[in-house]
Amino acid sequence: MYRYDEFDHAFVSARVEQFKDQVERRLAGELTEDQFRPLRLMNGVYLQLHAYMLRVAIPYGTLSSRQMRKLAHIARHYDRGYGHFTTRQNLQYNWPALKDMPKVLDELASVEMHALQTSGNCIRNVTADHFAGAAADEVADPRPYAEILRQWSSMHPEFSYLPRKFKIAVTGAERDRAAIQVHDIGLHLKKNGAGELGFAVYVGGGQGRTPMVAKKIRDFLPVEDLLTYTTAIMRVYNLNGRRDNKYKARIKILVHETGTEELTRQVEAEWQVLKESDLKLPQKDVDAIDSYFRAPNLPLRPEGWSELAAARKADHSFSTWVDQNVTPHKNPDYGVITISLKPIGGIPGDATDAQMDLVADIAERFSQDEIRVSHEQNLVLPYVAIADLRIVYDLLLTDGLATANAGLITDIIACPGLDYCALANARSIPVAQRISERFGKAERQADIGELKIKISGCINACGHHHVGHIGILGVEKKGEELYQISLGGSGDEICTIGDITGRGFSSEEIVDAVETIVDRYLEIRTDKEETFLATYRRVGAAPFKDALYSEAANAA
Amino acid sequence: MSDISEKSAGELWGREGFREDPYITAPTLEEAADAPAVILPLTVWLGIEDDVRFATNRKIGVSVAPGENVEPLLALLDRIPLIALEFPAFNDGRSYSKAEMLKNQHQFKGELRAVGDVLVDQVAYMLRTGFDTLKVSHAVTLARLADHNLHDAPVYYQPGRGSHTAPGTYSWRRVPAA
Repeated sequence: MYRYDEFDHAFVSARVEQFKDQVERRLAGELTEDQFRPLRLMNGVYLQLHAYMLRVAIPYGTLSSRQMRKLAHIARHYDRGYGHFTTRQNLQYNWPALKDMPKVLDELASVEMHALQTSGNCIRNVTADHFAGAAADEVADPRPYAEILRQWSSMHPEFSYLPRKFKIAVTGAERDRAAIQVHDIGLHLKKNGAGELGFAVYVGGGQGRTPMVAKKIRDFLPVEDLLTYTTAIMRVYNLNGRRDNKYKARIKILVHETGTEELTRQVEAEWQVLKESDLKLPQKDVDAIDSYFRAPNLPLRPEGWSELAAARKADHSFSTWVDQNVTPHKNPDYGVITISLKPIGGIPGDATDAQMDLVADIAERFSQDEIRVSHEQNLVLPYVAIADLRIVYDLLLTDGLATANAGLITDIIACPGLDYCALANARSIPVAQRISERFGKAERQADIGELKIKISGCINACGHHHVGHIGILGVEKKGEELYQISLGGSGDEICTIGDITGRGFSSEEIVDAVETIVDRYLEIRTDKEETFLATYRRVGAAPFKDALYSEAANAA
Repeated sequence: MSDISEKSAGELWGREGFREDPYITAPTLEEAADAPAVILPLTVWLGIEDDVRFATNRKIGVSVAPGENVEPLLALLDRIPLIALEFPAFNDGRSYSKAEMLKNQHQFKGELRAVGDVLVDQVAYMLRTGFDTLKVSHAVTLARLADHNLHDAPVYYQPGRGSHTAPGTYSWRRVPAA
């Protein structure tokens, strides 16, 4: 994985010093909260309902054991013993004191981490496929390009005061695990007919109150043009994006109002000027960054398969976990493990300091010292030998980290909601917990199969409800929390925004409503192979609406 | 805390320090009377005759608001002594892109000036995107500039004015010019 050089160290320590100065100016009253706000936001410090929150950047979700241990240490010493992994592959601390922030940033800097650009109207932490470098279906590792973008976008003088925040995601496989089509810019790394690497470029996707699927503006952009082309897009957006209304300020609205064809023309025109500029990438630099991400030398471990067969036979729970949480690896003797942070009835994405330390230890011993954070709020061990699955499972089991539900109905994404967030209209976490408990039985979940529930506590859609197979949006109506359901959303390569079913449900009704939908699906699926999403795409919303509203009407 | 937001009349600052501002800002040429150097709003500037606009006995600069386009100026750049790009609010970043376009794409040789709500944390960005001078009214910014504290980074991850390539590292990286 990428390691800081002297240049990076100099940059980050200067930024920490600068933020110390800003915090001191704020505490001394030299800066008003209004003036401090943009400065703290650029350093990842939010003001939440009850306290300041610090959002730590985990570039493209890749972490070493040493870094994970530091995150655990910070949770223990400056917070209340836990952290929250987010849908942007980052980590949030909910309770640090403002006066401690500079110390926390010092701690992070000591392990090559920071909280820069995790908020504010700048280019945010670049995300990537959480299975990058390990997945069997990958064309090439997208992370070197995410790293180049991360560096180039750091404290960018031209693009730090954009109309609104800006999110870039990169994937290197046809199967899109990075949800690139709901990003401001989505990059799909692929090969052309000549076998050269380049990107399909998508622009203007996003969720929020106006969800939109991104438009493809270029089918193949050579790697050398990555930064010049991105600059052209950013410049067109910075100059023309709306600044009169923050809800219309994202690039998706500019693309929509300008039209894809005209916007593409503007970007291409700007690019003609920039194409041969200093930002054109020399192959040697791409290679140098790429070398940080070379796959580790994995020893052959063919004995694992027979051991696995025996272990599975002996322990049904272990076998279920392998089925659900282990994904094929490039190397047939290895697997990619998803560590679920969704224990039944738990808070999605939360991990205690002890759990973080445990994952760090396991990664050090069994996963080449590497951990990933997924945008689905789980952790990933990318390089585990099949022969080590049993011992890793046993270790995970010791601290509640072996829930066998990756991709299942209880693997719920939820935003922090009204329990923490100043923007929320409704609670998300308790709804997620109740759904999780309702469907918690292993057999029932396995029977239902792949089903992604995503919950947002307000229209900003941090819980990605628009791309949930079942999406739940909390709204406030006459002082009560109400939950709207949408169906058929998907953030993968066939990206769709879910359809709203109709009137919302109260907090008491919402779990029953989800169950009604699930029961109807089980009745009408052609067979167990037909997933919820496939069924929905075949039959549409009608049977589900019928179940939801006619039954409700009958009951009333 | 009211002294923090209190604005002074504004002082002109460039990389070499504070300096006298020869220009006055006027809504129309008439209002400027016979001032030898004047900055006019873009719409007014575009409306005056070439022989007045480019008169040799006085300097007439042009001020561009964030929502206005610099396109009409591009063909005339070598004859314009000064372009002022406005920052009515610190968080409106359009003028940074215009600075890049004017100075780096179109080689504007005259004075490029930032005017408005300039916070100290933005000074380095302004210099790097191409501004020559800043008209500063923010009290804290003035105090920091007087102390030569630009809040600049020791290294940059992008090309920009006032920097050169960093030997032995990636092509996009720069270090500040000494």
